[in-house]
Amino acid sequence: MDNMQATSGGGGSTAKWIIGIIIVALVVWGLVAANKNKNKGGSEKSMTKSEETGPIKIGVSFPMTGDAAVYGEPGRNVVQLAVEEINSNGGINGRMLKIVLEDDKCNGKDAANAAQKLINVDKVQAIIGSLCSSASLAIVPIAEQAKVAMVSPGSTNPKLTGISQYFFRIIPSDASQGSLDAEVSNKKGFKTVAFLVENKDYPLGVYEAFNKRFTELGGKTIKEEFPPDASDFRSQLTKLRAQNPDVLFINPQAPPAAERILKQLKDLGWKPQIFINEAAAGDVEFLQRNKAMLEGALGAEFFVDTTNAKSKQFAENYKKKYGTDLTFLSYSHTEYDAVYLIAEGLKAVGNNGEKLAQWSRTLKDWLGVSGKITIKPDGDRESGYSPEMVKDGKMVPYTE
Amino acid sequence: MEILPQLILNSIIAGSIYALLAMGFNFIFSTTKFFNFAHGSYACIGGYTVFYFSKSLDLPVFWAVIIGVAAAGLTAFVLDKTINLPLRKRKSTNTVKLVASIGLFTIIQAVIAILFSSQFQTLSDSSSTQKIYEIGTGVITQTQVIMFLSAIIIFAALMIVLKFTLFGKAINALSDDEEVAKIVGINTNKIISYVFLIGACIAGWAGILVGFDTGIEPTMGLHLFLKGVVASVIGGMGSVGGAFLGGFLLGFAENFGIWKISGEWKDAIAFGLLIIFLLFRPSGIIKKWNISHIY
Repeated sequence: MDNMQATSGGGGSTAKWIIGIIIVALVVWGLVAANKNKNKGGSEKSMTKSEETGPIKIGVSFPMTGDAAVYGEPGRNVVQLAVEEINSNGGINGRMLKIVLEDDKCNGKDAANAAQKLINVDKVQAIIGSLCSSASLAIVPIAEQAKVAMVSPGSTNPKLTGISQYFFRIIPSDASQGSLDAEVSNKKGFKTVAFLVENKDYPLGVYEAFNKRFTELGGKTIKEEFPPDASDFRSQLTKLRAQNPDVLFINPQAPPAAERILKQLKDLGWKPQIFINEAAAGDVEFLQRNKAMLEGALGAEFFVDTTNAKSKQFAENYKKKYGTDLTFLSYSHTEYDAVYLIAEGLKAVGNNGEKLAQWSRTLKDWLGVSGKITIKPDGDRESGYSPEMVKDGKMVPYTE
Repeated sequence: MEILPQLILNSIIAGSIYALLAMGFNFIFSTTKFFNFAHGSYACIGGYTVFYFSKSLDLPVFWAVIIGVAAAGLTAFVLDKTINLPLRKRKSTNTVKLVASIGLFTIIQAVIAILFSSQFQTLSDSSSTQKIYEIGTGVITQTQVIMFLSAIIIFAALMIVLKFTLFGKAINALSDDEEVAKIVGINTNKIISYVFLIGACIAGWAGILVGFDTGIEPTMGLHLFLKGVVASVIGGMGSVGGAFLGGFLLGFAENFGIWKISGEWKDAIAFGLLIIFLLFRPSGIIKKWNISHIY
């Protein structure tokens, strides 16, 4: 080890240089930031001009990397499509809409950073996001403090119900998904339901709603949790299998984890009756790829009426622009509606977060591509889920 | 149902991957003595190279795997020549090399995400069924058997190289004292480059196996790296034999640790084990150096 001591003398100067550069960079950054704050008062006047004629910025916070990027990427496409349509039809009273997209990585920490950036740097008055409940739960307090309206097209955790007057969502709460799943399980005569749950807000919300209703109905749940990004579920599955459950409920945040679980089920040679949550059931490609394993699996989805004219037009426009079909038959529709809702709100009350939030509570039977939207006083969307089952790689309405 | 046989198999499966990563990591560490954060990235490169050649270009799996292992090794070899060698010549501290390797890790992860998207991919064909072996009431797949066997073979091969070849003796000399090794005429820079090549090939192979067993994603490198490091530390920093034992100890601790408690505790158990070793046996199972003397 002596030689290492000797070399550290020579390397010390490099380290000093690096530390020096970091310190200089921090000082410069600090000065710039301080200056910005000082000029705040002065620049506000000059900003009002561009605020009246320039494009209206809308913040979007979606997961663009990690497992949940499977939602974020098509989500961005949907939002872009809607904005282009609105802009080509004259925008908002002559002003164009502009999307500022940030990656919240489906977690609270990055979502808070994304929200801070959207609110403080881009000065948005409305944020569309997030898809992940964990991310939305982190953004809400920041949006509330800055009086910025926030609409989520995909976060379904029950904790978001009535969380803030600035928040509303156009997708129903998981409380309805979980309890419906419990009722279906009871009807099927299941006594013990084994849950494999990712420990994130969305899957835990589904589990809690299920457990509450299922215990009321006289059933029993057993549960194993796994952390996000886990890839080895063998021992959890081994433990659940040993307790001979009637059904295995696969309850992840996003389809990739479900796919890994299915593969390991197959490797372990266990073929239980499967229940999947909406995150998995909503992914058309996932169902197709795993149709052999999933045949007969149960699930429930927030029902989107794909037959109405507006909804058909949306699917066509999407295919024309991107060359593929819509990936998610619920989130895609609510994302599209979120943009149009915000656009309508901007026309009605102007670019003001507080007014937009108040306006959202007045929505009643607003017709979007996801169906009629009514926002309850607690910010939740009215309407619910319907039970389904997998048949030949597709979700079809549940039949006895 | 009796779950003990399956838990043992699960531990061996996880332990094999940890051992493979830890052996490569420790092999490199024994000569360079810095925490190479990019070690997990080699696994990632291996997995994605096979993905590209076998799924996009339809090359037979055998050749794709060979190319994948080679790609991981060559990447490490080239990066050593272009980044670590200048740093060594400048006598940079291990902290500087660590920071550089964090940079490399981030760049490799980002490039892979750009080239292949962030989505989770699997190397095996989901429709085909692979061979499953039953042992007692437990089962193990063919890929998992290969994992275990390759961990043992690579362990044996590294031990033979280190004990009985001139190259191995040079590595031992270098790991004991770099200056003295130089004085007696060992081309240390050349040795280190080859050690990087071999260590990264092992990591690439591990990444490919993970790809066939569970699947690959650009962020897999960090997870594999961390588990490899934990296995290396509890096994004994710089010791290939220690890494082998550490990998399996970690695999068993994780899978048996969650026997009676929920599976979300797996990572906590792994890092708890690390802290226990750092506090009470910092030199690891097989003592090579005392870790507190290195950092």
